[in-house]
Amino acid sequence: MKVEGVKALTAPRDVVWAVVNDPAQMAKLMPGVESFEIADDRHWQAKVKIPLGLGGLRMTIAFEKLEERPPEFASLSAKGNGVGALLNMTTAFTLSETGETTSMKWEADVRIAGPVGAMGQRVLQPIVNQQVGNVLAALETQVVAAAQASS
Amino acid sequence: MSETTASTTVTEKVAAPEKGYIGLSVPRKEDKRLVQGQGVFFDDVRRHGMGYVHFVRSPYAHAKIVSIDVTAALALEGVYGTLTGDEVAIQTDPFFEMSVAPGNQIRDYALAVGKVRFQGEPVAAVCAATRELASDAAELVAVEYEPLDVLVDGQEALKDDVVLHDEAGTNVVWSGVFDWGDVDTALAEADHVVKIKKLHFHRFSSTPLECSGALVEYERGTGQWTLHCNHQMPGVGAIWMAPALRTGIDKLRFVTHDIGGGFGNKICLHPYYVTLCLLARKLGRPVQWTEWRTDQHLANAHGNERTFLDVEVAVKADGTMTGFKVKAVDDCGAFPRYEPLGCIIWAQVTPGCYDWRNIQVDFTQVVTNKSPVSPNRGYSRMQHLWLTERIIDIVAAELGFDPVELRKRNYVKAEQMPYETPNGCVYDSGDYARCLDIALDLVGYDSIEAKRAEAAARGKLLGVGIGSTLDSGTNNFGQSQLLNPELQFSGNNEAATVKLDIFGEVVVTLGTVPQGQGHETTSAQLVASLIGCSPDQVHVRPGHDTWFNSHAGFSGTYASQFAVTGLMAVRGAALLLRDEMVSLAAFVLGAPEEAIELSDGFARIKDGPPEAALPFMALGAIVNANNAFLPPDFNPTLNHRFVYRPYFGVVDTEKKMGKLTLTYATQIHAAVIEVDRETGVVEVVDYAAVDDCGTRIHPQIVEGQVHGATAHALGAAIHEDFVYDEDGTLLTANFYDYHVPHTLDMPPLKTGFIESPSPTNELGTKGMGEGGGAGIHAVCAAVQDALRPAGAPIVYDSCNPYWRIWEMLQDPEATRANVEVVSR
Repeated sequence: MKVEGVKALTAPRDVVWAVVNDPAQMAKLMPGVESFEIADDRHWQAKVKIPLGLGGLRMTIAFEKLEERPPEFASLSAKGNGVGALLNMTTAFTLSETGETTSMKWEADVRIAGPVGAMGQRVLQPIVNQQVGNVLAALETQVVAAAQASS
Repeated sequence: MSETTASTTVTEKVAAPEKGYIGLSVPRKEDKRLVQGQGVFFDDVRRHGMGYVHFVRSPYAHAKIVSIDVTAALALEGVYGTLTGDEVAIQTDPFFEMSVAPGNQIRDYALAVGKVRFQGEPVAAVCAATRELASDAAELVAVEYEPLDVLVDGQEALKDDVVLHDEAGTNVVWSGVFDWGDVDTALAEADHVVKIKKLHFHRFSSTPLECSGALVEYERGTGQWTLHCNHQMPGVGAIWMAPALRTGIDKLRFVTHDIGGGFGNKICLHPYYVTLCLLARKLGRPVQWTEWRTDQHLANAHGNERTFLDVEVAVKADGTMTGFKVKAVDDCGAFPRYEPLGCIIWAQVTPGCYDWRNIQVDFTQVVTNKSPVSPNRGYSRMQHLWLTERIIDIVAAELGFDPVELRKRNYVKAEQMPYETPNGCVYDSGDYARCLDIALDLVGYDSIEAKRAEAAARGKLLGVGIGSTLDSGTNNFGQSQLLNPELQFSGNNEAATVKLDIFGEVVVTLGTVPQGQGHETTSAQLVASLIGCSPDQVHVRPGHDTWFNSHAGFSGTYASQFAVTGLMAVRGAALLLRDEMVSLAAFVLGAPEEAIELSDGFARIKDGPPEAALPFMALGAIVNANNAFLPPDFNPTLNHRFVYRPYFGVVDTEKKMGKLTLTYATQIHAAVIEVDRETGVVEVVDYAAVDDCGTRIHPQIVEGQVHGATAHALGAAIHEDFVYDEDGTLLTANFYDYHVPHTLDMPPLKTGFIESPSPTNELGTKGMGEGGGAGIHAVCAAVQDALRPAGAPIVYDSCNPYWRIWEMLQDPEATRANVEVVSR
């Protein structure tokens, strides 16, 4: 499943870049994160409980940063493993500065396999949309706070 | 009480069927308890201290198992224990494989050992104090996998780029060419050769109301396991399980109660049951497993998926068809659990309903990363019969013949019965053309063009289609030797016990393991008819118990055989009882045996004084409790076990010929459908099913079987499809995505019948109930007929949901490219 969009964030690009490239700060954006471990600057791992409509789905997700061109582009992969479900995601974003705000163009290719993935095929899209909305709203709050703190 | 045992073979010469209660729809004995919720299913059985089992299943379709860690699950309070594949590999042997090489090299265990080969494959089992706790604990079992490339396509499997079973070295389980008659000459002499590149019979399954399961107890002192279960063929289940468990067959006691549907899904339960046996022994407590519905879809048993390639059909100018050749690729999923029997079972109906003398089938069965298959209502024959019916309608469409006339021209005629097929099977009786006429009358075929015009005025495309199938019943297991001559299986048998108890109650014990087919009722009808009492006076024990000693090696309800094997066993035992009751009454009443009649629950002297009559109770009491006056050389038991053995003779393994089954019931279905041009949605607006199963013991039960088979057919034809994505994820693992017809999905169903008594047995019966294949094709043919004005696409798949019909509407040429006609 491919999802994409553009989000306008009220903060300078450097601030946004700093937030979205800091695994610890990103962890705060993700829904249902129960624990978070950083292996090195390119690899980290999260234990999450994804709030699927059919009930919470616990997964251990390994993240790997694939590419970055500060302060405008980054891509990463996420591979998750849970009871009855497997997650494979590649995501990328491009930041462009427009005055005091930053435009974030993002895209993600999400694949959920396994029995739970099969059960959720028809309900997955609205759930993913909802979760993406939550993440972006949290991101906006965080970058605005970061921008205010640095000004 | 002592017992007598007898067995018989059937000759060609048979007497007229006994009547009495035969043919009457008496109230079903089973219904009262079932409609009142008083049935006893395996899940109703409870034992002190029992644990509940949950299986940890693979989310991967194909992966190496790197490690399994059960520590966290065991630490949870209330968890009794676990079992992993490594333990299974140590404590059991792989299940017996029926194939020759390479299929017989496959090692199949109760739990995955080293590798998983389909999504949902059990890798471990957890036992806990409650079902929910077991489920929660299963989530704590940490399994590390190393994913492997996935194979989900049968034709791709032939390339062996990805190999599931390293020990076999190939994905091919079995392959061979069946060549009967002279198909090359038939094709060379034909006026037209119709070529079809590819047809596909899809993967689906019956979905019993009751999922699978068992409660297993282990008695440590004797090494005895008791399985309260819903296995529908325990005799064969024990043959698989006992060697794997390294125990004797009598150490496995199967007990069934009421069973909520089988359809073949409950034949291949041995991997689960072996796991339960090991857990019961390991934990020293009874263990119970009830399958979850999603698991049933995901990993229980599917029907065989089959692709037909390079079909060539020989047709004369007048429409007479002389034969065909085809390559068949059968996908049996990850393990050949009942296979490769599907590679031969279809041959029971090699020419379908048609007088085709030259047939060549190049058959290959492969494994893929999908759920293993098992017999499924119409097993293996359904796929082949669908092919024969597709051939008829495609030939009719391409050469401009009327499908009805083409069928009648090529059907085996009533006057040809009994008819020997090119591969030595014998169609015992039937009149296919007459059944077709009845079906067409029921759907108003004479006025179909007016209905088509009326539908067109509403923007709908109306079509009519026919499905002609044979329900071959009473297997000859000798057909397995056509696949593997070394196999020591042949013939068939069934057992029953009938006795007269001390208070005059007639007690019948079956070996047939009924699953809702009304065996208690029909057995009582037959026994009552034979010994002269009411069916109410006959108690037929529900279910099955190995310790009843009333079963034989092939006991069970499968392959449409109860009406022959089950009832003939009952008949044999009842006749032995009847003869003894007559002898006893003659002795007591001082009359010759010829003067004794049994009727209304009494043994009487015909035309004698009214007081010269003994109620059955008196006979039972004399033998069982008051026998001192009987002379020493007269020792009736009133307790008889009979094993019925149909006669087939041996098969010819060189020519791959023989009597592969005993009886052939007929189903001719006609469907009238309407297609929405914009969406492709199909509505079945009229439907007729005509069945000929020989003598009908209980017409209402027959009718119920016809209704059920038709519902299964319509579901398969329009909705039910096990769809896998490229990762091997089953996309239709629940009733939300796998739509089973509801009452409101069913058309107004019209039924008809004729009775062509089978000459193979004294009752004239034929097994029936697996005629759903007719309905699948009737819908396919109706869709093709409906789409004629829209570019005349060729229906190439057995499942036609709205989206596939929409695709055919958008691009009919894509399917037409699948067919070529060469005329001379």
